[in-house]
Amino acid sequence: MDSNSTLKAELKRLTRELASHKIELHQTRGYLHSILQNSTDMIFATEVTGIVISFSKGAEKALGYSVEEVIGRSIEDLAEDQEGFHHVMATCEERGCSMAPDIYFRNKEGKRVHCHASLMSLTNRDGQRVGTIGVCRDITQWKKLQDDLIQVDRLAEMGRVAAGVAHELNNPMAVITEASGWAGMVIKDAKGLSPEDRQELEDVIKKISAQTRRCRNVTHKLLDFVRDSAPSKTDFDIHTLIKETIDFLKPELKHTPIKIHLNFAEEPLSVNSDPKLLEQVLVNFITNAIHAVLEKQGNQGRIEIGTTKADSQVEIRITDNGGGIPKEAREEIFDLFYTTKPPGKGTGLGLPICRNIVGNLGGKITLDSEVGVGTTFTIQIPIS
Amino acid sequence: MTDQPNIRVLLVDDEETLLEYLSKRLLKLGFTVKATFSGEQAIEVAKEEHYDVAVVDLKMPGIDGVETQKRLRQIQPFLQCIVLTGHGSIESALESGQEDAFQYLLKPVDHDDLVAAIREAHKKKTEVQDAKFREQLDQIHKSGLGAHGMRKAIADLRKIYGLE
Repeated sequence: MDSNSTLKAELKRLTRELASHKIELHQTRGYLHSILQNSTDMIFATEVTGIVISFSKGAEKALGYSVEEVIGRSIEDLAEDQEGFHHVMATCEERGCSMAPDIYFRNKEGKRVHCHASLMSLTNRDGQRVGTIGVCRDITQWKKLQDDLIQVDRLAEMGRVAAGVAHELNNPMAVITEASGWAGMVIKDAKGLSPEDRQELEDVIKKISAQTRRCRNVTHKLLDFVRDSAPSKTDFDIHTLIKETIDFLKPELKHTPIKIHLNFAEEPLSVNSDPKLLEQVLVNFITNAIHAVLEKQGNQGRIEIGTTKADSQVEIRITDNGGGIPKEAREEIFDLFYTTKPPGKGTGLGLPICRNIVGNLGGKITLDSEVGVGTTFTIQIPIS
Repeated sequence: MTDQPNIRVLLVDDEETLLEYLSKRLLKLGFTVKATFSGEQAIEVAKEEHYDVAVVDLKMPGIDGVETQKRLRQIQPFLQCIVLTGHGSIESALESGQEDAFQYLLKPVDHDDLVAAIREAHKKKTEVQDAKFREQLDQIHKSGLGAHGMRKAIADLRKIYGLE
């Protein structure tokens, strides 16, 4: 009898304990589940063989696969370098855990996903290995940012060096300019020169001054490029600025059959930005359009300048019916010193400077071009 | 040689070869030119003689262009300064001395641009100076000085303004 009641009591105690364990287990499970659901990291579990048995929301998001698509597949299939990933898995098997600071997965679209991964062995109560747990952080964006920063840094450094060189060249060039100018004056007054010799010498002086002007053009533009003074912003009307810019370019247009059409938004577009810098950008793009059109069209040249207001942005479009820009050149045109013009005509600095300026004003430049049809450059700048 | 007024130009640049040819060209065009090779030298020269326009290099050993033009204008308040720079830092130069300089030009400067700037600067100098001269002349006339005192005062004034 006595043992019976003891057993009963024991059973009661065990049942209670079990119930409380059950609650605890439930809570832990819920806790882990919400971690899996909410973590932006990729968290997966595999069997000993590497077959995926669990795949978190973060993993779905990072790689673009749904759980269903991945369960049952080998995790190594998802890695770009399968052998490398296998090696990381093997190390984990050997040591209980492993780390890979740079590992690449392929997402569903085949794009590379750069990850920082750490793996751990999953063991059962007897200490036997039953699988692997992996936690990977998608660092693609971060890496890209890092690369961009390096790029920006390199550009800035290049700019500094170039500015130093430009400055060093400006002084001797000033001397050459003055010396040749003086030589020109001396030749003009010189007695006893034969007309041929005089002509010859005058031509030489002209050439020297043309070439120094060419050098100056490069050094001054380079210095423009690195001059990173803060924009000075005021309120002004975009349409007025565009009209003034076209007026400014009248001499360029005078002896050409080019027609400039304005396709302005109906309302005045007032912005708070730097009109001087923006004018520099407009001069550059309109001049480029003029050149593009002259090269291709002869008498049919047409340039259209349009504006639109879109949310907090103003859009200025400069469209020409010139030769267009081939696809492969569309990124290069913004590179320093890239030019298609004959030597001495283009510096390859105009567009990089424009991109810099517009970037500094918080906007961006895009282009749309078709070879043989023409090009549209779109400048977007924030209203304020 | 030309019908332009005699413009007295003070050149300040440590690049001696540059000044050699620049002054020759300006002389040939009928300017009166004095070349100095440092800010210090320019200031010494300005104490002795009046100038209409100074063309000052920005970067020089010793006192730099911005400081030079400030001091020159302390000695000759109507003197107009054109600052030449081989640097891209026109803007920083502007910040440090905007109110003082008549114009900033980037080296190498186009000769015609420089000549035009000098003429403009001279025009401004004459205007400012004439206005001030007349104002002070007016004051002398109103001051009730005797003929002798007035003549002396006017002579002093002419001296101050470099009009002897």
